[in-house]
Amino acid sequence: MKRRRWLPSPRWALIVPPYAWMLLFFAVPFAIVLKISFAKTTLAMPPFTSLLDWSGQAPQIQIHLENYLRLFSDGLYAMAYLSSLKVAVVSTFLCLLIGYPMAYAIARMDPAARNVALMLVVLPSWTSFLIRIYAWIGILKNNGLLNNLLIGLGIIDEPLQILYSTTAVYIGIVYAYLPFMVLPLYANLVKLDLRLLEAASDLGAKPWKAFFQITLPLSRAGIIAGSMLVMIPVVGEFVIPEMLGSPDTLMIGRVLWQEFFNNRDWPAASAVAIVMLALLLIPIVIFHRAQAKALEAKLT
Amino acid sequence: MDSAPVSDAGKATGNGAASVRGDEAYVRITSIRKEFDGFVAVDDVSLDIRRGEIFALLGASGCGKSTLLRILAGLETPTRGIVELDGQLMNGLAPYDRPTNMMFQSYALFPHMTVEQNVAFGLKQEGLPRAEVARRVEEMLALVQMSKLARRKPHQLSGGQQQRVALARSLAKGPKLLLLDEPMGALDKKLRSQMQLELVNIIERLGVTCIMVTHDQEEAMTMAHRIAIMDVGKIRQLGTPDEIYEQPNSRFTAQFIGSVNLIEGKIGEDEKDHITILTPWLDSPIYVGHGVTGFEGMDVAFALRPEKIRIQRDEPQQACNKTRGVIEEIAYFGSHSVYHVRLPSQHKLLVNATNTRRWASENFTWKDEVWLYWGELSGVVLTA
Amino acid sequence: MRRWGLSRWLLLAGLLFLYAPMLSLMVYSFNESKLVTVWSGFSVKWYFELFRDQQLIDAAWVSLRVAFYTACATVVLGTMAAMALTRLRSFPGKTLFGAMITAPLVMPEVITGLSILLLFVAMNDWLGMGQSRGIGAIWAAHVTFTLAFVTVVISSRLSELDRSLEEAAMDLGANRVKVFFVITLPIIAPALVAGWLLGFTLSLDDLVIASFVSGPSSTTLPMKVFSSVRLGVSPKINALATLMILVVSAAALIGWWLLSREEKRRQRDMQRALQQGE
Repeated sequence: MKRRRWLPSPRWALIVPPYAWMLLFFAVPFAIVLKISFAKTTLAMPPFTSLLDWSGQAPQIQIHLENYLRLFSDGLYAMAYLSSLKVAVVSTFLCLLIGYPMAYAIARMDPAARNVALMLVVLPSWTSFLIRIYAWIGILKNNGLLNNLLIGLGIIDEPLQILYSTTAVYIGIVYAYLPFMVLPLYANLVKLDLRLLEAASDLGAKPWKAFFQITLPLSRAGIIAGSMLVMIPVVGEFVIPEMLGSPDTLMIGRVLWQEFFNNRDWPAASAVAIVMLALLLIPIVIFHRAQAKALEAKLT
Repeated sequence: MDSAPVSDAGKATGNGAASVRGDEAYVRITSIRKEFDGFVAVDDVSLDIRRGEIFALLGASGCGKSTLLRILAGLETPTRGIVELDGQLMNGLAPYDRPTNMMFQSYALFPHMTVEQNVAFGLKQEGLPRAEVARRVEEMLALVQMSKLARRKPHQLSGGQQQRVALARSLAKGPKLLLLDEPMGALDKKLRSQMQLELVNIIERLGVTCIMVTHDQEEAMTMAHRIAIMDVGKIRQLGTPDEIYEQPNSRFTAQFIGSVNLIEGKIGEDEKDHITILTPWLDSPIYVGHGVTGFEGMDVAFALRPEKIRIQRDEPQQACNKTRGVIEEIAYFGSHSVYHVRLPSQHKLLVNATNTRRWASENFTWKDEVWLYWGELSGVVLTA
Repeated sequence: MRRWGLSRWLLLAGLLFLYAPMLSLMVYSFNESKLVTVWSGFSVKWYFELFRDQQLIDAAWVSLRVAFYTACATVVLGTMAAMALTRLRSFPGKTLFGAMITAPLVMPEVITGLSILLLFVAMNDWLGMGQSRGIGAIWAAHVTFTLAFVTVVISSRLSELDRSLEEAAMDLGANRVKVFFVITLPIIAPALVAGWLLGFTLSLDDLVIASFVSGPSSTTLPMKVFSSVRLGVSPKINALATLMILVVSAAALIGWWLLSREEKRRQRDMQRALQQGE
């Protein structure tokens, strides 16, 4: 009879490839971004100064703090960060407002109808994000669908200037991120034991009260998951403000893009990225903790 | 009604290691200990199991029985201790290298394979020729009467049918040790008793050594040759169903199986051939017709099973082992009734009596005043 | 309809909100006029224009290839990661591993894109490789950011899988590798398919990361669409959009129909088994 050592070496074959990949393509790049944020633009290729200065006797570390100084002193950057946060928070709230009833309705349906409804909600996300935002251009512009409809119905005389404004950006964000809010909420609500609500009703609570005191608190995990899935990426959103917003719509994702592509200022872009990351660190940790907890719960 | 005379009944036996000698032990478990992050699931258990025996690990959930079973299967590694099967050391062997097979509580039938393929799986791993595999599969399916449904997939089978397939699969390789994890757990009550007998028949026919884990006393008592009662990782008592029921070694095991009256008291007279127990429960001392290892004044519990107590209206002739009482509650079970009798000392005794209607005067009802009595060998003296 | 509560109506409104823009795209792709939203007659000429646009076609081909390779690589790596996360109790660096795998789920794409580009530049600097950032570079970047999503899908399925199936297989004599390929893989296959499709879609649709990472020689479809759309609406894009929506919808409907048919069959089997009983 064979006597093999029980601890299997397939273990390492399993861990190493994805680990190595993510270390190389995800973790290491952040270190590089950090390093470059301390550099200065030059006319060289790549267009930034290197960390070590070899011109003297021994290599010296040259760190330029000007990118960060500019970030903190130039009010424009601060405003961009703040407005990004504002947009993220407001759109998350809007998504919650619209998405919660949708998730609730789907969770209450019987299983056959539920699957259909879920598919309908998810299907748009499978088509191109870019193209769906593009659709809103056609709808929101001055001689677009919405205005033509409203003028045709006689509700307004002059076209509403919606496109290329922050309002359009809100519409676009809610439109694009709605499924990300609905799905985690649904996953949570569908597990709600309806008998809890029956018990509440038996004890005298009217439907709305039962909702606020029982359903809402119990769906907290879903709300947090959905909110994180919307809020964090929206902070750094680029495409939607670029396509639907005005040049004044300040969002930090656009700032980063412009620094990189328009100004060719890689160090500045890096600094913007680092600060964005620092801002998002706490929500990201919250999200990761919630994910890990959910996975643990499933495994036990 | 009276149990056979037993000397020194009531001594607490920890483990069964002394019950089987040397080469008789087919499965030898020595000082197995399993810890999970500081929690001790199995606490230095030693056990010997004979060849061809059906052995049950009985206990409530969390007592460590399932962990011990998994250690035998190789699905868990013990923190300390040795497992030997047929003289061969099992420690360090992976599940797929052991001559053991397990029938899981959930059956764990592979959903993407047919009944045939499920049963053949283990045989295929051995690299047997296809003809041989087919022959064995046929044999096994015939044994569990599932030949007609060989092409079905698990989700097309009822619970009872799935269990048969699971059994066939675990026996297909002719394992030296068969492990059953709550075998009847997933079946409804009707099927259970029928399957219990069938299972035992099949196992005995094949002569397979079998260790089963269950929380159901009836199952263990019905199916097993010997039972080990486990609690908090330790074995509390080891013996045949008969021994465990009639000669519990502690209050715990007495209460674990069936129902029992535990009368607390102290040893009065301590002689070689008899003792008496003084107890606040009764007006007169209890007379026990054998000696015990103990001393005068020692705290003991007298375990008296409800079916060992007789109940009647008139005072019985015997001098001791009797008491008056008032019937407080009656639980009627058709063939028998359980009477809850309140004694003058305010303690309660449960009395189990078959219902006979021969004498109308013997039909009892609430608030009746009755006399209870039992024999001098009817109960067990417990010191633990 | 009578018994519909408030939430049902809101659901309907929400669904209309989600689909109206897509419908408008499709309708106006058949508009004769170049001014997309001013209807001047039915025409399919924009579809022909679309197929004559060689640059768009090339870009589409690049995107499809990258998406295909990304999906394949991501499913393999994702399955490994999911197995490591759900089956191995603990190993050094498990928390870091879990964090790295799931972080891209919420990471803004501009950050991911910038950082991977800078990695390639550094690699070029230090190792002299990756000068022209072609399909390979985009592929690597896409695998990195889709890995998170695919791992979540697969590990969700793995954690629901009854462990005793794998234990039973081991008990019957199969070693770990065999158990994975003969038992685990077939059972989680649907999740792998879902993961593949997810990876494919995410890659096909990505604009930001591809913009950062790609070199001059490789342009993806979203990049092309974006640059043309910045200049205003274009009916060719409407035509493209319509085609994409139709393809995706058709695929989704077929998939859904197949699944529900399979599910119905299972239910029937189980009912029959219960009735026949012992």
